[in-house]
Amino acid sequence: MALLLCRGIRMYPPLLNYAAFLRRKSHVFYCAMSTTEAQTATQGSQSTPIKISPHRKEKGLDDVLKDYEAIIGIETHVQLSTLTKAFCSCPYHYGSQPNTNICPVCMGLPGALPVLNSKVIECAVKLGLALNCKLNIKSKFDRKQYFYPDLPKGYQISQFDVPVAYGGHIDLDLPVEFGGGHRRFGITRVHMEEDAGKLLHSGNGRVPLLEIVSEPDMRNGIEAAEYAAELQRLVRYLGVGNGNMQEGSLRCDVNISVRPIGQVKFGTKVEIKNLNSFSSVNRAIDFEIVRQALLLSEGQDDQIVQETRLWEEGSQKTVTMRKKEGLSDYRYFPEPDLPGVILTKDYVDSICNCLPELPEVKRRRYEKMGLSMQDILFLANDVNVAEFFDATIAKGADVKLAANWIMGDIAAYMKNEKLSIDDIKLTPQELAELIASIKGGTISGKIGKEILFELMAKGGTVKGMIEEKDLVQANR
Amino acid sequence: MAMAMAMASRALLLLKGATPTNHRRLLFTRDIAAFSSSIPPLHARLDRAIVRSCSTSNSPSSLEPPDLPRLAATARISLTPQEIEEFTPKIRQVVDWFGQLQDVELQSVEPALRADTDGDQLREDVPETFDNREALISSVPSYEEPFIKVPKVLNKESE
Repeated sequence: MALLLCRGIRMYPPLLNYAAFLRRKSHVFYCAMSTTEAQTATQGSQSTPIKISPHRKEKGLDDVLKDYEAIIGIETHVQLSTLTKAFCSCPYHYGSQPNTNICPVCMGLPGALPVLNSKVIECAVKLGLALNCKLNIKSKFDRKQYFYPDLPKGYQISQFDVPVAYGGHIDLDLPVEFGGGHRRFGITRVHMEEDAGKLLHSGNGRVPLLEIVSEPDMRNGIEAAEYAAELQRLVRYLGVGNGNMQEGSLRCDVNISVRPIGQVKFGTKVEIKNLNSFSSVNRAIDFEIVRQALLLSEGQDDQIVQETRLWEEGSQKTVTMRKKEGLSDYRYFPEPDLPGVILTKDYVDSICNCLPELPEVKRRRYEKMGLSMQDILFLANDVNVAEFFDATIAKGADVKLAANWIMGDIAAYMKNEKLSIDDIKLTPQELAELIASIKGGTISGKIGKEILFELMAKGGTVKGMIEEKDLVQANR
Repeated sequence: MAMAMAMASRALLLLKGATPTNHRRLLFTRDIAAFSSSIPPLHARLDRAIVRSCSTSNSPSSLEPPDLPRLAATARISLTPQEIEEFTPKIRQVVDWFGQLQDVELQSVEPALRADTDGDQLREDVPETFDNREALISSVPSYEEPFIKVPKVLNKESE
């Protein structure tokens, strides 16, 4: 994902507009911040050292931007890949016809009662633990009331003041192309809810969601995009969802405000929606930082209003959707049709013990093995690739060589054939065998590559192929 | 306070006569009367509530009297001026009842999240197809396969 993000940025046409300036600038924003291991960018901290020049001679964009900092928070909705909906036993599949999988509960018919899907709590606890959160042993559901065409009940079942998890953090490493560096961002809360809407686009109204709210710790587009990418990684590692932004199973709404560096008071907060990829998260934020900073520098801060803006992929800018007339009155009250959610210590422990090795732990382990950050980020990105790598070195293969083969020829093959690492016929055992054979001098590297291709496409063993093709190197 | 407002808006719904002008009416026909038998007797509950508040002294409420026109607007219920005049004291009584609850001294009592004591009522993640989808669809007044047509819902809140 990190590589995809990078590719997205590089492909962005270098038009003479603000966003192009900002791509450079966000790099500078980033470099200005300290990169100590345990950095936590908190709300009030003056984490960005002020640049030297106090007086601007010309209102060049760079000069404008270096006097401002952006405060960014993200709300993410993760669709859970359960077999049934949140509060009824209707099956749900992505892409099914509208109104096919329905029953009185999800249609919101009078008298129908919701019953919580036990898998939803399991997913919530898994994700809460993976995000280092504290869990509310007792939590509850609330009704969030508003009117919308595909909300037949007139309310959405959510969690308001007592979410299942709160007060955690997420660790990630920024891609090498963007300067690298370790980051820790706070997680305010994780809660369970049903998806309001979506009936129009598929038969999937009321699928279970987890909403993750971050602390406003991000400072630029790269950090925000990586945060989203790490959440996707986590969601996939845990197997709670497929976290696909394009499909809508991972949705990010960004909240951003800009203020002059040194000012304690926050700027006006703007929400950005309609972000369908990590790179659009990055570009939308960069655009918005420029928009707000320019207005502020021209003394037009009243032009920045608290509103929701949409990211337009075509024109590469944010546009007004509608102005928020104060906060919505959702008239939350506890959902009377659902009992409270009670987590026992045994339950939580059993889930904790079954958690897989999380991306952050894996990255640190790979670091200790001596791999470069570039290698680490690639290998740890996809849990299946990491497993393949781990299995290969478990068979005794050299760490660096295994990494090189996986990142090089194997990755290229997977991309060309559009296969995942689980689909190729090569096994970790045979990769280890191949590496050993080359290292031991039995075959040359060139022959190794040929054998590899056959192994990936057709399977088989290294020894078998060497014999079959009589490939043993003479006297080396 | 939010709880009181929510209760007040539900009370308003009932006073108005349980035929909400919002789109929920679309789905409410004879064909699905089977489900309506499981609707809890809300009317009875409200009567009891009103009786209760009448039988105790009406101490001045510590809660703000609700702005009825605004409440009706948020609940998407239209009220005539007579109805506003008639309902305001009744809704006021419901809210005052909560005011009485709020006056109770509870410093030493641990706040409860919910009133029930039943354990988890969960179900397994096992799909079951509802076997009378046709009845659901046939009771929709305006169905253009595969979509249900609903009246225009003007959304004043930002969502």
